[in-house]
Amino acid sequence: MDNLGIFLQILFWGLYAGCIYILLATGLNLIFGVMKIVNFAHGEFLMIGAYITATVFFLTGINPYLIILLSMLALIGIGAVVERLCFRPILGTGKLNEIFLSIGLIYIFQNGAAMIWGDSWQSVKSPYDGITVPVGSLSIPLDYLIIVALTAAILIALYLFLKKTKTGREMRATSQNRKGAMLVGIDVERIDVISFGLGCALAAAAGTLWVVSGQVFNPYIGSMPAVKAFTIIILGGLGSIPGAIIGGLLMGVAENGAAFLLGGIWKDAVSFIILIVVLIIRPTGLFGEKGD
Amino acid sequence: MNFGRDELTKYGLVAALAIATALPFLSDNMFLLNLLVLMLISIIFASAWNLLAFTGQGSLGHAAFFGIGAYASTLIAVRSGISPFVTIFLGAAVAAFIGILIGLTCVRLKEWFLAMVTFGFAIIVQTLTVSVLAPVTGGWDGIASPRLVSPSIPGYQFIEYYVVLAITITSLVVIWYIMKSRIGLAFLAIRENELEARAAGVDPIRYRLLAFAMSAYLAGIAGALQIYHIGYLTPDLYGVNNSFWPVTYVILGGLGTIAGPVIGTIVLTVIWEGLKETGLTFGRYVIVGFILILTIIFLPKGLVNLPERVQTWWKERGMEGSGARPQRSIWKFF
Repeated sequence: MDNLGIFLQILFWGLYAGCIYILLATGLNLIFGVMKIVNFAHGEFLMIGAYITATVFFLTGINPYLIILLSMLALIGIGAVVERLCFRPILGTGKLNEIFLSIGLIYIFQNGAAMIWGDSWQSVKSPYDGITVPVGSLSIPLDYLIIVALTAAILIALYLFLKKTKTGREMRATSQNRKGAMLVGIDVERIDVISFGLGCALAAAAGTLWVVSGQVFNPYIGSMPAVKAFTIIILGGLGSIPGAIIGGLLMGVAENGAAFLLGGIWKDAVSFIILIVVLIIRPTGLFGEKGD
Repeated sequence: MNFGRDELTKYGLVAALAIATALPFLSDNMFLLNLLVLMLISIIFASAWNLLAFTGQGSLGHAAFFGIGAYASTLIAVRSGISPFVTIFLGAAVAAFIGILIGLTCVRLKEWFLAMVTFGFAIIVQTLTVSVLAPVTGGWDGIASPRLVSPSIPGYQFIEYYVVLAITITSLVVIWYIMKSRIGLAFLAIRENELEARAAGVDPIRYRLLAFAMSAYLAGIAGALQIYHIGYLTPDLYGVNNSFWPVTYVILGGLGTIAGPVIGTIVLTVIWEGLKETGLTFGRYVIVGFILILTIIFLPKGLVNLPERVQTWWKERGMEGSGARPQRSIWKFF
């Protein structure tokens, strides 16, 4: 294989890995934008979404791409409960509390999932497994193309929801100015629940895509993607959805490039090295607001 | 009987010391003694994390310092043949040095930026250990380390227990002394209001760095002690779990207090070992998660604050119905 071929391969792998990061980072941005909270346990929603997809698939055998809707709906519910019971009582008591609370959530979700589904590695075979589409000199698995298309569709739907619907406008208003939103009669606590639920649904979609792409999963897969999603939103700017998309793609490519050049063991470390280098140069992130 | 608060604390301390000294004689159960040693080490580790939290910095990667202390002291001991009693402190010094290097990148960061970067450093250190440094560190397989007290000496567990106990007490006294000194006051000033602290002539960056170094040093001691106790080390030391445990201990006991890490560690260890009897595996972690979340929501100052809370509740009990306190709607879900 020539160099260009390898380069394109890495690029495409990065694009595909980036899709999962984009969905996670967009969800986090949505939650951060509205509630200004940081939930390190966001990756656990990806993991739950993955398990819901796999379980429904094993039980019914329907096309796993269709289960994405079910896992998103389920996670809206779980997210609403988590927001109501855990995050709302500590809203405004300090950022550190949110971080510590998410550690508790990580314990509960990871090990709760291990109690239900066991902690061994599992995987699901996609119905389109083995089908490839020739694109130029590359042959790309059909699954990857569907995943990229689905991610784009979800993001467009989210964009339309935020721009066109009343709830979407209320969410944007709350994220711009919480007190102002209250003054014009928006029930910000309702908006909190909806935003958190939507953010979790995006994580669930990422989980479904993780499963159908044939990647193995166990209850502990969530932490790494979540931390990387945080890296992405620090790089791409807090609350900026275009930033999350570009950052997600770059992260996917950088990671796969590093794995190819330095060896697979460096895949996780490289994203933190990028993060640390960026934060040394700009302690508030690449596009972050000045000060806090 | 009417004790002041200070007197109560004094008697409590004396009682705790007496119990800690006498415990090994109360039972000849070696399993229990082993547990006590590990608990003391956790107390040092949790106190180290708490020392950093004194300055308002919450780290999610303290496993890095724990692991570096363990690896450095073991490698020094193995290569040079120096007694583990000395290398504990040399290894911790290496951890403190790396702590300063990591601190240099972190001291300007706040809250979750800091949490992210410290978390990332633990992973970077682990990656380095198993890749570039593998010829020295043994990679994923790990290496054997010498024991603090050779098992050939009769009653070595007792000696080990008292050594660890002495180091724990010394660490706590040192932390207490630091917190009483100007340095401690500077830490608190930075945590409460950085701008005012700067106006009062406290350089936040310098003191944060100092906190990083001291915290890393103590965490390194804890790591070295644990490895010398177990006799074997693997890169799992850098795992996420090892970073989360001190946080859990401190939050449960009481963030930003000296007694907090001690009480939190003891209570959680008792709960943890008690749950072991019920045969739960993953369930134990779920319960710890619930304990952590409930503590943050309902007892934000930790168990240390419990007596005070009970007292307030006792006093306010008689004043019910006066309508002074607004009722929070707990049951309104959406």
